Amino acid sequence: MTQPILVTKDMPFCPGCGHGVAVKNLAKALEEAGFRPLDVIIVSDIGCAGLVDPILATHTIHGLHGRAPALALGVSLGLSNPGKKVVAIQGDGGATIGLQHLLEAARRNVDMVLIVLNNLLYGMTGGQMSGLSTQAFKAEKHVDDDTPPFDIVRLAHEAGAAGSARISAPGEFKAYFQEALATPGFSLIEVACLCPSHGVKKLKELAEVIPGDLKLSRQRPPARASYRDTGPLFEKGGPLPAPYSSCIRERLGIVIAGSAGGGVQSVARLVANAGIRSGLHATMKGEYPITVGTGFSLAEVILSRNRIHYTGLEAPDVIVAVTEDGMAKARSRVKPNTALVLDSALRDAAFPDALYGNFHKEAGKQGAALAAAASWLIREGLLEREALLEAARGHQHGEALMEVIEKAAGMVRGLPV
Amino acid sequence: MQLIDGSKIITEACVRAGADVYVGYPITPSNWFYAYAQKRFPLFLAGPDEISVLQWMAGFSAAGRLPVTATSFPGLALMVESLNMAHMMELPMLIIVTQRLGPSTGSATTGAQGDLLLLRGAISGGYQIPVFCPSSFEDCWNLAYEAVKTAVNYRTPVVLLTSKEMVMTYRSFDLSGLPEIKKVENAEPEVALPYQSYRAGADGVPPFIPLGDESYQVRLNASTHGRAGLIQKESPEAMANTRRLQDKLEGNISEFTFFELDEEDGAGQLIVSYGISADAARDALAGLRRQGKKVSLLIIKTLLPVPPAILSILERYEKQVFVEENLPGLLRELIYGQARRAHIRSVNKIGSMIAPSEIIKEFAV
Ligand code: SF4
Repeated sequence: MTQPILVTKDMPFCPGCGHGVAVKNLAKALEEAGFRPLDVIIVSDIGCAGLVDPILATHTIHGLHGRAPALALGVSLGLSNPGKKVVAIQGDGGATIGLQHLLEAARRNVDMVLIVLNNLLYGMTGGQMSGLSTQAFKAEKHVDDDTPPFDIVRLAHEAGAAGSARISAPGEFKAYFQEALATPGFSLIEVACLCPSHGVKKLKELAEVIPGDLKLSRQRPPARASYRDTGPLFEKGGPLPAPYSSCIRERLGIVIAGSAGGGVQSVARLVANAGIRSGLHATMKGEYPITVGTGFSLAEVILSRNRIHYTGLEAPDVIVAVTEDGMAKARSRVKPNTALVLDSALRDAAFPDALYGNFHKEAGKQGAALAAAASWLIREGLLEREALLEAARGHQHGEALMEVIEKAAGMVRGLPV
Repeated sequence: MQLIDGSKIITEACVRAGADVYVGYPITPSNWFYAYAQKRFPLFLAGPDEISVLQWMAGFSAAGRLPVTATSFPGLALMVESLNMAHMMELPMLIIVTQRLGPSTGSATTGAQGDLLLLRGAISGGYQIPVFCPSSFEDCWNLAYEAVKTAVNYRTPVVLLTSKEMVMTYRSFDLSGLPEIKKVENAEPEVALPYQSYRAGADGVPPFIPLGDESYQVRLNASTHGRAGLIQKESPEAMANTRRLQDKLEGNISEFTFFELDEEDGAGQLIVSYGISADAARDALAGLRRQGKKVSLLIIKTLLPVPPAILSILERYEKQVFVEENLPGLLRELIYGQARRAHIRSVNKIGSMIAPSEIIKEFAV
């Protein structure tokens, strides 16, 4: 025996409201298609269309204005038991407030039915015009606005809905609902509704102000949510071996400055990793414009014997700069005790104590930052060359990086040339 | 030790705790979550905007999944109405908010701590949702787990409030010290018949049964509703249900009160901080103690609802210095309001992290 979908014949709407006719037909369509009440999840919007929850024996979820199709999308893709049907119900106000949601559910062809009860106005707030109010209806209401309405049936179709239709004859409601319920994927049905309190009071008049019936369909597989098994992002393995030594005692702050495409960020990570392999604590952070493909690229590395809490770098111990963009960004950070390691092309009388090297000429655009940083760190005895090589080994461009590190020693000239 | 970032630790912890759906819209500085989630979450969906993101999450949650997203102020602002909905429907979910410099679009790649009071006032009526704030990589791991657990156990959206510097800075870190995370199970609910989606047990939490259940009718509702999940206006039952939303979290706050207290015997001065400023406070504390000053440090990790345990610690200290990366002092205002108190001081800054020296200066006299 079929269990009734409706728990009452009393509709929560004004007498003669088209919403009641639609909801009764939906209930009949569900029952005749064999759905038991708990096979159905009704997602109701705000407005008169959203008054349906208490008259239904189904699962119900009553959300925000305009968001029913988005909420229904989540429910549909989240359900773990097959054979359930998600039906969202909203009015014309809801359909325009959340037009994006309607289009997105259609674009993805999410398995659900969206019923838009279109009475051409906002019923609950007193009958104001909506984005689906037609010009003919507005003229009749003496509303001075000839903006045409959205055609949500065509919009849903264009976005990719498996089915979309506009219907106005109550006698046809049930058959359309049944077809939508049987369609895998997204089906939208725009139902023309009377609103005796604020809008059209008779079916005959309704026919004169609504756009014509329309039915569109598209063969498309419905969206599937496949929940995959994934592996961990990292292993909680023990500490990396730290066989190398370093004479860094407390805290060494390094700024590496170059340009986009110069590998500054990966050089900084490499230096931090070499530090870890030397028994040090390390932090690294990058700074670059939103347009990552152009302009400066700057990175800060802190190496320390002790655990690092604060990761800011107020007074860098060294600034390594290999391009003009990088130097322009880093210049303001030079403090009295900051060592400078610069590409020869950046020679600057303001920094008489800077160290220079032909990093670009000798290591190329992509190797310059690494060459400069590595040559200085090795020269000062702060990191062993082997520690840097070891850190480069795991990198996707490991060999190229190792080649730069190999020849970096000695690239820094002790004094400006 | 290995070089790792906070986004990665949080993402991994969420999935281990049982979060299974990530719905995202990319926004700096929360993008790393998006990238890691694509690799790690059983289901990943790219939403077209942040309103959709939270609505989809609510749908997933209502269907029994445990969704996560990560955003920043501009996205959070769009989510506020849906956050109210999730709170009212009592849907478990986790929203990671990575703070960046405001107002408005501000600077996407500069950190900040500017969104605490937005979260405090986000729910119409002043109801509170749990807000946890990691101040270290250990916290990233542990609090992500606690956030998922709290969301499930108390049927509520939970916010993990981070900042750019916490989730986009690499640090050497010993992962082997992290505790194992066990999947948070939604305990087989003890259902009183007839089942009603908002009939609560003694702890104020209604047993959660997702939409689509074969045996029980589930009714979820974002409007004022009674126990059955149907709209009721100002009925005593509906008002009791709304009042329960407050009691549910505030009454169980001791179950999710997290903080770190480094207390010095005889200290009358307390540094109070949270999140990304906590590290500078830790360094400042060490510096002050080297100078022979008697100072204690409180790092708050459960920011909302404000735990009574935190308030009683504060009561013990004559002088308090609140350290936070915003101008008005949002945590201080959360606790003490806008009235000035001579002994409640602030170290504030925008545009870059507060340095330990700037905190130490506050204790110079
Ligand atoms: S106001 Fe109009 S749409 Fe709303 S219930 Fe009454 S008749 Fe129906």
